[in-house]
Parts: sequence; structure tokens; C-alpha cells
Amino acid sequence: MISLPVVLAAGAVMFGIGLYGVLGQTNAVMVIMGVELMLGAGMLNVVGFLRYAHPDAASGTFFVLVIMTLMAVEATVGFALVVATFRHSRTAELDDLTELSG
Amino acid sequence: MSGLGTALVFWPAVVGMLVTALYVFKTASMARAGLLLLASLALEGLIFLALAAEFLGVLQLLMMSGEMVIMVFFMVMFMPDPGGLMGMDMIHDKRRSAAAAVGVAVALAGVAVLTDWPAQMVDGTTPDLRQIGFEVMGRSMLSFLFAGVTILFAMVGGIMLAQQGGRLELPAPEGERR
Repeated sequence: MISLPVVLAAGAVMFGIGLYGVLGQTNAVMVIMGVELMLGAGMLNVVGFLRYAHPDAASGTFFVLVIMTLMAVEATVGFALVVATFRHSRTAELDDLTELSG
Repeated sequence: MSGLGTALVFWPAVVGMLVTALYVFKTASMARAGLLLLASLALEGLIFLALAAEFLGVLQLLMMSGEMVIMVFFMVMFMPDPGGLMGMDMIHDKRRSAAAAVGVAVALAGVAVLTDWPAQMVDGTTPDLRQIGFEVMGRSMLSFLFAGVTILFAMVGGIMLAQQGGRLELPAPEGERR
């Protein structure tokens, strides 16, 4: 049977996979992909709550739309930073970007 | 959708979403990784459809298909080994990052399963999609407009940031001077 905890648990696993990408990947583009997965997990949670806790609330849809907006903005700004970094350092590998390290 | 129909869509979609999400970081080919991410988020859209959130499900499928195809281009452009033919290892701190990810996922899933959630459950009826339209034109109009303007600002800011010389109009790097 499908229930709210099942949806939330699926979201939790997806969040963990995204976190693995953010922490473990060496390339900035792959880190952006990890963040996308984490935001996708958050979106799944919101849809779960929307469906199981407040099925009649249309306003909950807008929380999901805000997260979708956030995903688009994150990708836009992230890719712009990757382009700017690549112009400067000729790499998008995070291990090589040590200019600001103490 | 009946309970059986929902389950037949939901469970394969959940398994597919998680497996494709995991393989995003397992495959060596960047084009494949981008397409796997697209598959994962598209399957998430199917889950939305199974949960009777049709508007969000279709929106997710449309938005993510466009966004992920653009992402594939970026990955092929900026990866040192986009085809995955050299067998490069693109993971650092593998054990600790995997441990942190598993720990967070188990903790969140534990909270999800052990919490005593409200008993109100889905009744099988589809929410009235017209309500979303009334909501857009009503009290959520400002937040909807704000989301659109935010995307516009992000596009303009992204172009300014990525243009040659950047926002400070610094000279182009040596190899790029014309």
C-alpha cells in the first residue's frame, strides 16, 4: 500500500543519493546534478504531503512550483559559474580550484 | 486511477527513479549520466501522476526534459573525459561521502517511517485542477509572478557572469584573445 511514509522514505533515499553526488564528485557540473537530485527529493516530499495530508489545498502546488523555479535558477547560476571558472582556470574540476583556499 | 493502477505505476517508478539516480554517479560517460538524470526526474514526474498530481507531473516531465538536455551539453563541454573512454575516477573521498549520504538517507527515512503522521489519507478522488487556476489568479499570483521574475533575473545574471571578461570586464585569458 502506498502511504505518506513510503513517499517520504523514497524522497529520503533520493536525497541521500544527491548528497553522495555533491560530496563525492570532483566536477562542478556533477555537483550541480547532485543538487538537482536533492531538490527533486524535496519536491517529492512536498507532493507527498500535498496528496496525503492536504489533498484539497491548491496552494500546496505552489510550493512545488517554487522548488522547480529554484532548480532552474540553481542550474542557470551554477552553469554560469562553471563557464566563468572554466574561462579563468581552464578546468571545472573542484580539486584544482584552490585559489581561495587558506 | 484505481488503487491497483496507482501501485502498478508508483512502485516501478520509485525503483526506477532511485536506480537511475544512483547510476548517474556510477557511469563514466557524461552523456549517459545526463540522460540517466533526465530518466530519474521523468520517473519522478510519473510518481507525481500516480499520486494524482497531474498538473505537477506533466510540468515536471516538460521542465526536466528541457533542462536535462541542456545539462547534457554542458557536461560534454566541461568534462575532461565526456565519453568515459579513459576510465577516469571522478569521485573523491568516496568512503566518507558514501557514509555521510547513507547516514543522512537512513536518518531521514527513519524519521519518515517512525513519525506518527496525521491519519488523513488519500480518498482516491482527483483534486480539482480548476482550483489551481483560481489559485494562480488569486492569492498566489504574487508568488507566481515572483518565480517568473526570479528566473528572468537568473538568466540575465547568468549571461553577465558567463560572458567574456565577466561582470568586471576583465581581459580575456591568454588563450582566448582574438
